Amino acid sequence: MKTPGDALECGHSLAELSAYLDTGEIADPAHLDSCPECQAGLASLRRLSELGNELLTADVAEAGSGGDDWMQTILDNLRLELRPGRSIPLRAEDPQDTLWETEGSVSALIRSVADSFPGTAAGKCRLLGDITEPGAGITVDVEIAVVYGHAMEERAAALRNELAKMLQVQTELDIQAINITVTDVLELPAPAMTPNTEDQP
Amino acid sequence: MTEHVEAKSATLADELLGVVQAVEGVSAVYPAQPLWQSVAGAAVAAVTGEQLPLISLTEQDGTLAIKARIGVGSPLPAPKVAREAAAAIRRHLGNVPAVVEVLVAKIEA
Amino acid sequence: MPDSHPWKGRNVTGSPAVSPTAQQPLDLVPDALLAGRAADGDTAAFEALARRHGPLMRATARRLTGTLADADDVVQESLMQAWKQLDQLRDPAAVKSWLLRIVGTRSIDHLRKRRNHLALDDLENHVDAPSGQRTQDPESTAVNASRVDALKSALTLLPEEQRRCWVLKEFNDLSYEEIALTLNISPASVRGRLARARIALARTMEEWR
Repeated sequence: MKTPGDALECGHSLAELSAYLDTGEIADPAHLDSCPECQAGLASLRRLSELGNELLTADVAEAGSGGDDWMQTILDNLRLELRPGRSIPLRAEDPQDTLWETEGSVSALIRSVADSFPGTAAGKCRLLGDITEPGAGITVDVEIAVVYGHAMEERAAALRNELAKMLQVQTELDIQAINITVTDVLELPAPAMTPNTEDQP
Repeated sequence: MTEHVEAKSATLADELLGVVQAVEGVSAVYPAQPLWQSVAGAAVAAVTGEQLPLISLTEQDGTLAIKARIGVGSPLPAPKVAREAAAAIRRHLGNVPAVVEVLVAKIEA
Repeated sequence: MPDSHPWKGRNVTGSPAVSPTAQQPLDLVPDALLAGRAADGDTAAFEALARRHGPLMRATARRLTGTLADADDVVQESLMQAWKQLDQLRDPAAVKSWLLRIVGTRSIDHLRKRRNHLALDDLENHVDAPSGQRTQDPESTAVNASRVDALKSALTLLPEEQRRCWVLKEFNDLSYEEIALTLNISPASVRGRLARARIALARTMEEWR
């Protein structure tokens, strides 16, 4: 059984061939064409490289798509870390305590409610007003996309109710208005996710 | 200026971590220093193997300053959970003078 | 790029003229533009880049750290670092290899941190070992597996430094200089380690054939 070691009998080494594959540079390129040992070595390294590509393809496929949950989780965490936003004060029992919610945690919550709502997806979300001042009047602006076939007015109204309830429980903001703007209609090309026909206008 | 309280604070920070984690509705405790602020320090931590304590503890003029960054995940209202976390920290400290800061960084409905 | 997002947006006739909500429309925008916009603070552009290159970053980190869970930590840390350092990216068109270099550095940091917590033996058992066969003879264990699986096993038997060089080259197509910068070694060392890795892998695969 032939086991390719580093040094070839022709005087070249597999290390040189390895570098040649990456850079295209080698001391005497003319030798390569005529040397069976070098040809065998190169073929072996090329087979390995092809196999490496197969492994890469399999691994990337296994890693999933950038639209999958694992990436969404990472992006959600990044948002909370990188853009906490303003600090919203909460009532404290002890005068020496300071308690806050981050603006980012509240807008992420608003987005998740809108995303989990049937037929809608959240876009931009803003808390308008001085949220750092307890009791200040706050307006919430949410942009949503509605899946084609869902009645937009009805979706927006239902979402507004849901958000109002949630903000009442999870924050101490004085919410004066929740404005919902439908900025897009989403078409589902795949038959798998067709919305209910009964919701169609 | 503030100064880090050494060995005993590491134990106390650990105890407080357990106390905060045990509060109903607390789903996570994040590093009190946001990660991106410690990216530069991560290299040092990597070499020394030191984990930054999750609960930050500093002392100024005999008063402890405690800072916790939490995630809330429950039907319980987040403001209530934050207050309960602060109260639990105070109960653990007894009569030690302290200022407690609790930041809700994530709310899972 | 894979065009796998399930829905395509279209503006409603008569709706207020506002920019499209979701990130999907950015899927078609080239890297260089996205990187430029991200450096200007456009988070949607940054997230589109993350979605686009995330799978390769994850696959790379997995081969470098050993597990998908570690890989996700590394991808998250890498994206965080990338966002903070976008202003240092000289060539926006090269954002992909720049991201992959960050993944390489952070994967190694990640392992180093863990090494300080675990005994070396635990670490060695933990890293890779896709089928828990690390201590066994790859020739006998791989005999019924596919050639790709055999390569996976052979990779786990490489010295760590060689495996890093191989992954950064074959998975990420980084140049010797880029790998050298990532691993903090000289380009000559990269050349040597890569060659040794390939020789060892090729030998295993030839024997296995």
